[in-house]
Amino acid sequence: MRQEACNLLIDYFNNQLSKEDKEIFEQHLESCESCQEELKELEEFTEDLPYMSESITPPEDMKARVLTNIFASEKEEDATVDQNKKAEPEQGSNVSSFPLEKRKSKNKNWLTPLLAAGLLVSVLGNGILVMNQSEDTAESPEIEQEESLDRTQLSAQLAPSEGIEASATATMVEKQNSLNLMIQANNLSALEGDQTYQVWVLEGEKPYRAGTFVPNEEGFGAVSFEMDQLGDHDWDVIAITKEPNATSETPQGDIILSTEL
Amino acid sequence: MSSHDLELYSQIQAGDQRALEQLYDRYEKLVYSFAYRMVKQEALAEEIVQEVFMKIWTKKGVYQEKKGKLSSWILTITRNTSIDIIRKNKITTHTFEEWDSLKSDQTETEDIVLWKEKKEKLKIAVRELSEDQQQIVQLFYFKGFSQQKIANTCSIPLGTVKGRIRLALKHLKETMKNIDERGVNDETRGV
Ligand SMILES: [Zn+2]
Repeated sequence: MRQEACNLLIDYFNNQLSKEDKEIFEQHLESCESCQEELKELEEFTEDLPYMSESITPPEDMKARVLTNIFASEKEEDATVDQNKKAEPEQGSNVSSFPLEKRKSKNKNWLTPLLAAGLLVSVLGNGILVMNQSEDTAESPEIEQEESLDRTQLSAQLAPSEGIEASATATMVEKQNSLNLMIQANNLSALEGDQTYQVWVLEGEKPYRAGTFVPNEEGFGAVSFEMDQLGDHDWDVIAITKEPNATSETPQGDIILSTEL
Repeated sequence: MSSHDLELYSQIQAGDQRALEQLYDRYEKLVYSFAYRMVKQEALAEEIVQEVFMKIWTKKGVYQEKKGKLSSWILTITRNTSIDIIRKNKITTHTFEEWDSLKSDQTETEDIVLWKEKKEKLKIAVRELSEDQQQIVQLFYFKGFSQQKIANTCSIPLGTVKGRIRLALKHLKETMKNIDERGVNDETRGV
């Protein structure tokens, strides 16, 4: 019996054991010195191997997507990377709490109309575009649900206005029946004084405030905004402007980044 | 550098998003490249990157200092996540595979230079393995095959798999050490 457990070592290392076998082995491991030693040895022997990988430059917007998804899964309301307290006084900063785990997935049908309306420049990998077709990378337009998926999101790239270097991604996240707009932006120019970046959603010509943020030194900024508080609208445009302070009720600055919905 | 890693990690544990971002910036390329090496698909590699940092952020995985470097821990999570993804997606790649992939990267940051040096050494060390040994390392480490599958693929008795893996890896490690001691000389460089 003991011998048999020792034989699970390789499959344990390779994450190939069933839950039960894994438990059996872990229990065994506590008392079996030779397995402990062999496991340690395996770890040492293989520690350099990841560096065999050819270094590849990830897609430019991957960081924004990944961090958006991670922070979006964390909190329903406030997931800003940076200080946006002054802009959103009603939502305190909740950066230090950790209410994970209870991520429930509900694909709401708002997705489909948006898709149809061509909002989406891209549908992001992880949550939505999971492939169970056999081999190839899924470029399938279908949205598939997977149990482990917790959230629904769509993403659109905002186009920079002329002379602007920045880039931004807008992601809609459905979270416990509320719809959040997450913005992540890169390469933003630094602000002065009380200036902030302001996100707007426009219905026709009418702008609504949809989040304020201040980027970090690297020009990376993000904000999450609960869309429900604006009521029912047909949004036409998402835009970001630079504002003299966090209180502008209408845009004072030029549009830096925008996308039509 | 690793003490800085530890500092970042404890900030992350306290819920500091910027610390996670910094850790992300530091390891994005390594995790992505390693994941790509495992699954050979960009979309899946990205999924793995997200999963890895999600695990770090949500404390699903907890790092303990006594278990070694943070970077090794992150790479272990990357590998385990990759193996899960390979299994979930039933990815089949060729069993005999080139050790080098085609895509490579132009930017030469300090980290990348160190990485490349290590890679050069590894390449040399791998060449000193027999073909069978190269294959078993490939199947075991980069494909994450089960013991049984390795036995089948290599047509060797199940009971010998563990021993062969160990020998191949040990040989590799020792060769690496020798290279470290004598340095990468001109003869072996520039391949
Ligand atoms: Zn044992």
